[in-house]
Amino acid sequence: MTKRKMYFRMITASLMRRRSRMLVALLAIAIGATILSGLVTIYYDVPRQMGAQFRNYGANMILTAADGSFTKEDMDAGLAIVASADLVGATPFRYETVRIHEQPIMAAGTDMEAVKKTSPYWLIEGEWPAGSGEILVGENVAENLNLKIGSTVTLSFTPEADEGAGASENAGADDEVVLDNMIDFVVKGTLNTGGSEEDYVYIPMADLEELTGIAEEIDLAEVSISTSGDGLNAYMERINTQVPAVHARLVKRVTASETTVLSKLQALVLLVTVVVLALTMICVATTMTAVVTERRREIGLRKAIGASDASIIQEFMGEGMLLGGVGGILGSGLGFAFAQFVSVNVFSSTITLRPVLVPVTIIVSIVITGVACLLPIKSATKVDPALVLKGE
Amino acid sequence: MSLLELKNVYKIYGDLHALDDVNLKVEKGEWLAIMGPSGSGKSTMMNIIGCMDKPSKGEVLLDGVNIAAESAKNLTNIRRDKIGLIFQQFHLVNYLTAVENVMLAQYYHSIPDEKEALEALERVGLADRAKHLPSQLSGGEQQRVCVARALINHPEIILADEPTGNLDDANEEIVVELFRKLHEEGTTLIVVTHDPEVAETAQRMVVLRNGKISKETVNENFTGHIRFH
Amino acid sequence: MFFRMVFGTFVRQWKKMLMIAFTIALGASLATAMLSVMLDVGDKVNQELKAYGANITVVPKQSSVLDDLYEIEGGQSTGTYLREDELGKIKTIFWAFNIVDYAPFISARATLDDGSEVTVVGSWFNHHMDLPTGEQLDAGMNSLRSWWEIKEGAWLNEQTAENENMAMVGVELADKLDLHVGDPVHVIGTVQDATYTVAGIFDAGGDEDGQIFVPLDSAQALDDLDGCIDSIEVSALTTPDNELAQKAAKDPGSLSISQYETWYCTAYVSSICFQIQEVITDSVASAVRQVADSEGEILEKTELLMLLITILSMIGAALGICNLVTASVMERSSEIGLMKAIGAHNGAVTGLVLTEIIITAIIGGCVGFVVGAGFAQIIGQTVFSSSITIQPMVIPLVAVLVVLVTLIGSMPAVRMLLHLEPAEVLHGR
Repeated sequence: MTKRKMYFRMITASLMRRRSRMLVALLAIAIGATILSGLVTIYYDVPRQMGAQFRNYGANMILTAADGSFTKEDMDAGLAIVASADLVGATPFRYETVRIHEQPIMAAGTDMEAVKKTSPYWLIEGEWPAGSGEILVGENVAENLNLKIGSTVTLSFTPEADEGAGASENAGADDEVVLDNMIDFVVKGTLNTGGSEEDYVYIPMADLEELTGIAEEIDLAEVSISTSGDGLNAYMERINTQVPAVHARLVKRVTASETTVLSKLQALVLLVTVVVLALTMICVATTMTAVVTERRREIGLRKAIGASDASIIQEFMGEGMLLGGVGGILGSGLGFAFAQFVSVNVFSSTITLRPVLVPVTIIVSIVITGVACLLPIKSATKVDPALVLKGE
Repeated sequence: MSLLELKNVYKIYGDLHALDDVNLKVEKGEWLAIMGPSGSGKSTMMNIIGCMDKPSKGEVLLDGVNIAAESAKNLTNIRRDKIGLIFQQFHLVNYLTAVENVMLAQYYHSIPDEKEALEALERVGLADRAKHLPSQLSGGEQQRVCVARALINHPEIILADEPTGNLDDANEEIVVELFRKLHEEGTTLIVVTHDPEVAETAQRMVVLRNGKISKETVNENFTGHIRFH
Repeated sequence: MFFRMVFGTFVRQWKKMLMIAFTIALGASLATAMLSVMLDVGDKVNQELKAYGANITVVPKQSSVLDDLYEIEGGQSTGTYLREDELGKIKTIFWAFNIVDYAPFISARATLDDGSEVTVVGSWFNHHMDLPTGEQLDAGMNSLRSWWEIKEGAWLNEQTAENENMAMVGVELADKLDLHVGDPVHVIGTVQDATYTVAGIFDAGGDEDGQIFVPLDSAQALDDLDGCIDSIEVSALTTPDNELAQKAAKDPGSLSISQYETWYCTAYVSSICFQIQEVITDSVASAVRQVADSEGEILEKTELLMLLITILSMIGAALGICNLVTASVMERSSEIGLMKAIGAHNGAVTGLVLTEIIITAIIGGCVGFVVGAGFAQIIGQTVFSSSITIQPMVIPLVAVLVVLVTLIGSMPAVRMLLHLEPAEVLHGR
C-alpha cells in the first residue's frame, strides 16, 4: 500500500467513523456555504427582480412623434431596438376629443392588453374591455355623466371638415351639417388611478380608428423597460438616432427615482450580505477550531509514535479541506435552493443558476475551513506529546 | 558500547529535582524494569528515554547519539526509528481499526503494509480482531494492539509506561508473555511500572526514589514468566 | 460552593469559555443587526420611495372633472378652490406623523410679452412651518419634485425674503425664450402682471418643462385669488393595502365599528385620505395609484426579502452556536465523570454545566447585542444615511433566541453526560 492510499484511508476513516462529530462540522460549513451562495445569488439577482417590481410605477420611456405624427410601424421599429428580455410592455395611445351626451370628453384609443403591462397600477372596477365595442371609463367621467357599468354609451365624433375640393365654398353656401360618426359602446369598467386618467375614456384602438376614420396614427406610446440608468439612456439614444420618425424621452419622475431607490436597495442587500457572510464565516471558523482543539490528544499520540509536524498538519488539513469541499458542494446546492425559494416567494419568478458561483462557493468553503483548522492544528503540534498522553 | 546510556542526568523543575544525577546503562537485548513510587521521577525518565523530553543537564546516549543535544524535529525522527511506545491508557486512534492503528506507525515510519501489520497483530494473537475499532476491543486487546504497533517498525527499544496498569491479571499475563517473546527475539525492553510482579519478571530492576536510583537488583532466576504472589 | 465551582470554570477554562462567548456574541450580533434592519427597512425604504413624489392628491369636491374637461376646451376654471388657511390642519390628523411632505398648488394662465400663453404655477418650495405641536417642518417642491434636474441656478429658496419675486422656469420655456439665471420674465395675469427673476431652470421630463413655478402668493396675485389653492399634493408614509383597506376605500360606511377603528388607526392610504378630507373643507383626497400601489408592492417585497434573509442568517447563527456548545460540553466529559464519581447527582451536574453555559451566553449575548446594534447603524448610515432605530422588541427577541439556542445546543451534550459512566471516563476511553 502506498503512503497516499493510507493517507486517504485515514481521512475517510476519520470522516466516516466519527460521523456525528463530522456531521456537526459539515453542517456548520454547509450552512456557511449556503448563506454564501444564497445571498450572493440574491445580491446579483436583486436589481433584476426589484427592477421588475419598479415597473409597477409604469412606463419609464415615452415615444412621441419627432415631427407631426407617427405610426404603429414606427413604434415597432423603435421597440425592435430594445432587447426583448428587457421590454416589459409598450402601449400606443391616440387621443381624440369625442362627445358623450353632447359633453366633450377626451377619448384615448389604446391596446388594453398592453396597458395592463405598462400601467399595472390601474385599478379597474368591473372588467377590462376585452374586445371591440367595449369601453373603459375614467371614474370622474363616469360620475359626472352618470355612466354605470354594463350600460351602453354612444360616442360621437365630428370629422374635420373636408379641406379638399371646395370645402370653404360649401361652408359659406349653405348650412350643410357634417354628420357625426357614432359608435355604441358597452361600459365594461371604470378606472381609478388618482390621476388625470380618470378624466378620460379608453376604447380599443380599432374602434377609435373606425370612429374617426383615420387609421395607423399614434400620438404617443408608453414603453416600460426593465433597465435603469445608463442602459435606459443608451436605448433612448439609439431609438432617437435609428428611428428618425420617433422621439423618445425618459419619464424623469420614474427613471430618476428608480435609480436612487434601486441603488439603495442593492447597497442594502450588499451590506447585509457582507455582514451576514463575515459573521457566518467566523462562526464556521470557530466551529472548526473547536472540532480540531478537541483532538489535541490524538495529535499528541501521533507525534509520540513518530509523526512529524508537517505530516500531522497535512492530515488534519486534508480532512478539514475535504470537509470544506463537501460542505461547499452541499452549500452551493442549498444556497441556490434558498435563493430560488426567496425568488419564487418574494418575486414570483425563478432565477437561473450562476455556474461561476458553484466553484467560488466551494473554494471559499475550503479556504475558510483550511484557515480555521490551520491555527489550532499548529498550536496543537507545539504541544509536548508526553504531557498530552500522560494527563487524565 | 551500551545501547542506551544516561550520564549524570538531571531534570530540574524550579526547586524540584525530578531526576538527580542519574546514571544508567542499558545493554542491547536487555529487559529492564524501572520501579518507584509516584513522584519518584519514573515518568520523567521515561519521557527522556522516549525522546519526548530533554534533560536539564547530562547526556543521554542512544546508539551513541546524544539525544539531549538534538532538535525537537530530530527527536521525533529518532523516536520514530528507534523506539516503540506502549502507554498505560493504550492511546489508540479511536476511529481507526486495529490494523489501521498498527499501519499508522508504519505510515509515519516508512510505508504502510497491511500484510505486515496483520502479521504483527497475529503475533499478539489478534488476527481475528484486526477489523475492529478500539471501542469494540477489551482493555487487554487494546493493549495488545499497542504492543503490535510498538513492534511493527522493529525498534531498538520498546518503552512501556505502566503497560499493565489498566489490565486484570489474565490480560497482564498475556502482555508480559508478549514481552517475553520479544525479549527472546532480542528486542531491548524497558518497562516502567509500580507493579512488583511485573517488575520482577524482568532481568534487571532499578528503583527510583526522589530522582535518584536507590536500588538496583539483578534477577538471578530470570525466566520471563510472571509469577503472581 | 456551587458558585465557586462555576467561578472556577471561568477562571481556569477562560479560553474555552471565551470562545463560546465569542460565538454566541457573533450569533447575537447577527440576530440583532438583521432584526433591527428588518424591522426598520420598511420605514427606510418608504422614505426612499418618497422620491417618487406625492402619493395623495387633494382637490376641491366637484371641481376636478369640470376643471380638467373645460381646460380641454381652453375654458376658464370653474371657481372652486381649497382654502390656503386650512393647509396647516393636514399636520393635525391622526396620522399627522406619517405625513412627510406636502405642498399646495395653484395654477394661473398668464400671457407672456410675445402673446403666447403660459401656465404659472404657485407652490411652496421650502416652506417653513411651525406646527401647533411645536414641531417644525420644511415642506414643498424641493423634496416633492426630487427628480427635477436643475439645469442652471438652484432651487428657489423661499425662506430668504429677497427671493419673493423669483421663479423657476422649465427648460423648454427657457430655451424658447432664451432665459438664463438672473434674467427677468414678465407675465400678464388676468388681474395683475408681474416680473420674476429666474432663480433656476429645471428639466422635469414632462409638461412642467413648459411652465413657470413661483411662490404661492405670487401666483395667487396674478388672478387675485388670495388664499385660494387648486390642489394639494401630499406625501405620506403608508401601510400596504389589504382587503380591509380596499373595502374601506370604496365606502368607509360599510365597515363595522371595530373594523372602522382598525382601518382608521392604520396608516392605509385610504384612511389617510379620509382623514385629510375630514380637515380640509369640501375636498376630495385620492390616492395616486401609480405611486401608492407601487410603493406598497415594493415595500412588501423588500420586507419579505429581508425577512427571509434574516431567517436564513438566524438559522445559521443558531446552528453555529449549537455546534460549539455541544462540542465544548462534550469535551468536558472527563471532568464531569470525576464529579459523578465523587458523588454528584445528575441534577447537580446538569445545573452546573447549564449555569456556566447560560452565564457565558448572557455575557456573549450582551456583547453581541451592542456589536449588532453597531452593525445595524453602519448599514443604516451607509445605505440610507440615517440611523436605524433599534426597536425595543429586538432585545427580548434576541435574548430568547440566545437562551433557547444555547439550551438546545447543550441538550445533546447534557444527555450524553447523564448517561456517562464515571468509571469509563476515568479509565480514559
